[in-house]
Amino acid sequence: MNFLRAARHGNVLVAGLWVVSLATAQAPANKPSPSKVEQIAAAAKSYAPEIVQQGKALFRKDCSFCHGRDAGGGETGPDLTRSKLVTADVDGNKIGPVVRNGRPDKGMPPFDRSDQEIASLVAFIHTQQTKALASAGLRGGSGGRKGVDVSDLQTGNAEAGKRYFQGAGGCSTCHSPSGDLAGLASRYQGLELEEQMLYPKHAKQKISVTLASGQAVTGTLAYLDEFTVGLIDSTGSYRSWRTRDVQYKLDSALNAHVEQFPKYTDGDVHNLMAYLQTLR
Amino acid sequence: MNFVRHAFLVAVGALIALACPGILLAQGVDEQMLLHPPADSWPGYHGDYSGRRHSALNQITPQNVATLTLAWAFQTNQTAPIKSSPLLVDGIVYFTVPDNIWAVDARSGHQIWHYNKPTSQGEHIGNRGVGMYKGYLFFLAPDAHLVSLNAKNGTVRWSVEVADVTKGYWTSMAPLVVGNHVLVGVSGDFDNLSGYIRSIDPETGATQWQWNSTPPAGTPNQTTGGMTWMPGTYDPDLNLVYWGTGNPTPVLNGSTRPGDDLYTCSVVALNPDTGKLVWSFQVSPHDTHDWDAVETPVLVDGDFHGEPKKMLMQSSRNGYFFVLDRTNGKSLLTVPYGPVNWALGVDAQGRPIPNAAKEPAPDGRLIAPDEGGMTNYRSPSFDGRNGLFIVDAHPSWSLYFAKPADGVYGWAGADYDVWGKGVIEAIDYQTGKIRWSHELGPESGAGVLTTDSGLTFTGDGMGNFLALDSSDGKTLWHAGSGSHIVSSPITYELDGRETLLTSSGSVLFAWTLPQTQ
Repeated sequence: MNFLRAARHGNVLVAGLWVVSLATAQAPANKPSPSKVEQIAAAAKSYAPEIVQQGKALFRKDCSFCHGRDAGGGETGPDLTRSKLVTADVDGNKIGPVVRNGRPDKGMPPFDRSDQEIASLVAFIHTQQTKALASAGLRGGSGGRKGVDVSDLQTGNAEAGKRYFQGAGGCSTCHSPSGDLAGLASRYQGLELEEQMLYPKHAKQKISVTLASGQAVTGTLAYLDEFTVGLIDSTGSYRSWRTRDVQYKLDSALNAHVEQFPKYTDGDVHNLMAYLQTLR
Repeated sequence: MNFVRHAFLVAVGALIALACPGILLAQGVDEQMLLHPPADSWPGYHGDYSGRRHSALNQITPQNVATLTLAWAFQTNQTAPIKSSPLLVDGIVYFTVPDNIWAVDARSGHQIWHYNKPTSQGEHIGNRGVGMYKGYLFFLAPDAHLVSLNAKNGTVRWSVEVADVTKGYWTSMAPLVVGNHVLVGVSGDFDNLSGYIRSIDPETGATQWQWNSTPPAGTPNQTTGGMTWMPGTYDPDLNLVYWGTGNPTPVLNGSTRPGDDLYTCSVVALNPDTGKLVWSFQVSPHDTHDWDAVETPVLVDGDFHGEPKKMLMQSSRNGYFFVLDRTNGKSLLTVPYGPVNWALGVDAQGRPIPNAAKEPAPDGRLIAPDEGGMTNYRSPSFDGRNGLFIVDAHPSWSLYFAKPADGVYGWAGADYDVWGKGVIEAIDYQTGKIRWSHELGPESGAGVLTTDSGLTFTGDGMGNFLALDSSDGKTLWHAGSGSHIVSSPITYELDGRETLLTSSGSVLFAWTLPQTQ
């Protein structure tokens, strides 16, 4: 219902966003900054209601199970209204390729859709994002909608988190607040920081492969299953071998994150989060 | 195949056809076939009614499986991945993706017919396959219609609405045929709706009975949900159908539905002729993590701690492995089969006790397993020879959030996967101990099939089909498929040759031993 209103009065909505951006100018950095809202609002087109409606129907059919009917996140897919890719998208130049190629590594299948269908999906997704941001802002940016705001993640105690970091958590075995984690809170905020803290999914892993000849090749892990191992070597080239033909050794530092999961209390997680947010 | 040999086979085929004309005529599925599937058939979603996904075939063995070779491949040319479990009846393979059914010659991979009726309503997330009765197929469309087709040519006999798609239902499961009942379930998680199982007359499409898993929407302090996403299993001796029900709604916020939320996240035993509930066992009282209990209720007769028992086993999405006495629903064993941190323990009835402190919260809760669960719709298998329940598991951790602003409708919160992996676990059903495990890399969507020769067929998280030794989990054969595997394998024997049927992405693959001549 809100959606229909937003679609019908797209211009009003964009105007509303400008008001929001002014209203939140004094707000802490834990919500969409004015510049970001302005940026999105400026980019927010007033899509024809019938195009948005068509996109909504298509989204419901193919996308909503994973991304939610309102594009705000569902069973397995991310909240598209908070997606950086969606924010960066202009007329489907980012969204289109993802829809058509899928993201096989993340379990998203490709969808064979016409230009017109993609355009309608793009219209729907952007409209949802605009609406979501407006709704967050109008409610004072305090998390007035589904999803996780930076302000939601402020229940911990930084001092306790620091003690955990240095003690029971074992974090200081591998990490240093003045070394690899210096400026961490400037690079990541909110949920993204917490996810990185618990398990840095995109961390590059070092691997060393010893060939039958005895030659050792080191690099960054690029592929691994039971049968094939691949790496990017120091020259930037991809090289792979059958696992039965070589021996390989994977840097296992990330395992410490997995071993920590059952040891955390929720308080530990929140305290550690509070501490890491001081590392600006 | 050279021409001379081909001509010879055609001639032999013609002679056989003359000698026994019935052999080339579609016989369809009768009650006896469903009760005791012959080696040259796979007439229901699970093969037989037990849900064990175990075959007595033993031509492909641990000794020769390394020579397994491609007999044929069938390309659907669709972007929708194959999530269905094929049927094999009268030498024809039937399988599906949403809005599509194919009938393919099981000997050659040649398409016999293709049904395609695009629907614009309902979530098109997947279809688990067709059910069959006599010469009729039963197919659930995303718009919540049950379509019956003639198996011989794919023409539609009738189509009936089984749920209201405009309210938020859709359908994706494979109908289960029991006697003259076509049992269908419904899907839906984005609206506060009641789940149900409906029994349909295979001849007319008329509703015979309906069992509701939850009270009507809007009943104060009562849950909705309990969707019936997957086909159940059937014990003909007890005349009971066993079905897993889905999670409650609102999904991540339990405040409007205090108490256990019956009959969500439950295994229920129904009389297939009346739809009356005989017993129920709730695997997740008051769920707030989307852990439905629709994973296959596997029926096993055998020894349990020295006593012969009629058992029901489920590796549930919530991370616990359950063994029940299926005559009465009483618990025999409840034990986690991976990391779980959401329960305070197990109660006297064998049910996990949910920890209120682990319900989704505004500042997040670290939860194991993740929302996809320790396993999901992919089939497990029971290998009686080794006494092993073999499941494609997903040890995992995640963050769950819910706050008042998320409301009390539909999803009502948010959750994020933090870490997970795939591993085949072989569980000793009498103790719950994991006898062997086989790492799969990232989570795999492949189900498991075991055979009497001692083989376990499945797939890893990178798209490799695998054959493992059922006694120790060692890899004996693999084939890279080029796409993700989100289906469960089947096997059958045709013309004296055992065939393994697997799928990944848009391709169905048939594997056999090499022809010796």
